[in-house]
Amino acid sequence: MNRLLKNLFDFERPETTGERLFYRLFELAVLYWVLHFAWDWGFYIQRIGEVVLPLGIAQYIDISFMFEHGVSLLNAGAITVAAALAFFRRWRYGYLAALLLLHLQYVSRFCLGEISHGSNIIGMVLVGMALAPLCFDDRDRQRRFVFGFSYFFLGLGYVSAAVCKLVASGPGWVDGRHLWMWIAERTVDTFSITGEIHYTWVQELALSAVPIATLILTFGLLAEFFAFLMWFKRTRPYIMTLLLTMHIGILLSMQINFPANNVMLLLLAYPWHAWIDRGLAHLGATAFERIRRASLRFT
Amino acid sequence: MYALLTATHLGEFWPFSIYPMFSRGGHPWVRAVVREVPAGGEGISWQTVHTPEALPGHPFPLGETGINQNDIANFVSKSAVWDAQRIRGMRKLFRSTLDEVGLLIYRVEGRLHEPDSVAVTYTPFILLTPDSTYFNPGLSLPTSDAR
Repeated sequence: MNRLLKNLFDFERPETTGERLFYRLFELAVLYWVLHFAWDWGFYIQRIGEVVLPLGIAQYIDISFMFEHGVSLLNAGAITVAAALAFFRRWRYGYLAALLLLHLQYVSRFCLGEISHGSNIIGMVLVGMALAPLCFDDRDRQRRFVFGFSYFFLGLGYVSAAVCKLVASGPGWVDGRHLWMWIAERTVDTFSITGEIHYTWVQELALSAVPIATLILTFGLLAEFFAFLMWFKRTRPYIMTLLLTMHIGILLSMQINFPANNVMLLLLAYPWHAWIDRGLAHLGATAFERIRRASLRFT
Repeated sequence: MYALLTATHLGEFWPFSIYPMFSRGGHPWVRAVVREVPAGGEGISWQTVHTPEALPGHPFPLGETGINQNDIANFVSKSAVWDAQRIRGMRKLFRSTLDEVGLLIYRVEGRLHEPDSVAVTYTPFILLTPDSTYFNPGLSLPTSDAR
């Protein structure tokens, strides 16, 4: 247990300039996706007229007030302000407010029956960023908490997806004909979106023989099942690279893109902070000191 | 909190989720395809077809209108009762498009066909014209106040 906590958080290790700078870049990426979802959903919600599937808080309150008079756009504006105040360290509860308002935005957007998972990783990281200032006073501990929290729940999410597949379908889930079913389903979806039928080369390959399709599904299931290895520093880059590969595979085999997931995986998989530190080491002493001070002031 | 919220909300309470997507391998699925037809809906057929080439009218690419295809598919597959409010909700998604053309929404079903193929059927479901909504008379849909 101690080993796991040290791998996830490692609060005792002194923080470097590279870590502080990388955290700000990471925070900016999360902020971009939060605002992207808030406004994208905000405009779409104005087209919705009825709740078909109440999700989350929508099971307890009538969210139809979000559909009219630009309320969802006002909510997107409020999310933007709250997140900006948090980013510039003007409001301790900014990310918490953004999280709660984004939940309202999500349940309003997906009340027509679709349960989208494309934004869940961003939401989980935002939970970490909302909790960090409530749990820790020191900024360096807050940052370590956000990364450890993100690794833990990102890994848990993928493992949970693998367990769901095994519970619902057993080991037979990897049967290549199941992939054929999903390819047919997604082909109808792309036909619906574009008006044209189009197969990718991976789809053609999978449809050419059941064993090839089985192999593709087996890779996906194993990558998800072993996602808990991202909790450990030594295995983190390898398993996260496999998960990135899996997402590229999902894009090519089912034409489903998870851009926010991919960005988060890319940022969290590799020791970017160490590479920044290595780059800074090549600078002169004065320039390095300036950047170090700026990183302390800016974070 | 994660376990509590997902356990009490069928596995979904954004951003908490157990991620059950694609967990049921080989199960039949239902999607939707929209075709553009004459505004009056003259001469449309309620016949089920088995290939996209046999569909009447012209493609109505949802991507160009900004409508998410999942929302249309969910309307078609998850609506238990088609009352006036649900029909208004469906029509609101298409908004101004319905001023000029008729839209025939197909319910598309896929299932594994032994030994090694997937059978897909396209069944007309709803016809939306500028001023009316018609359901396929061959389907026994639970409706009330439909117009």
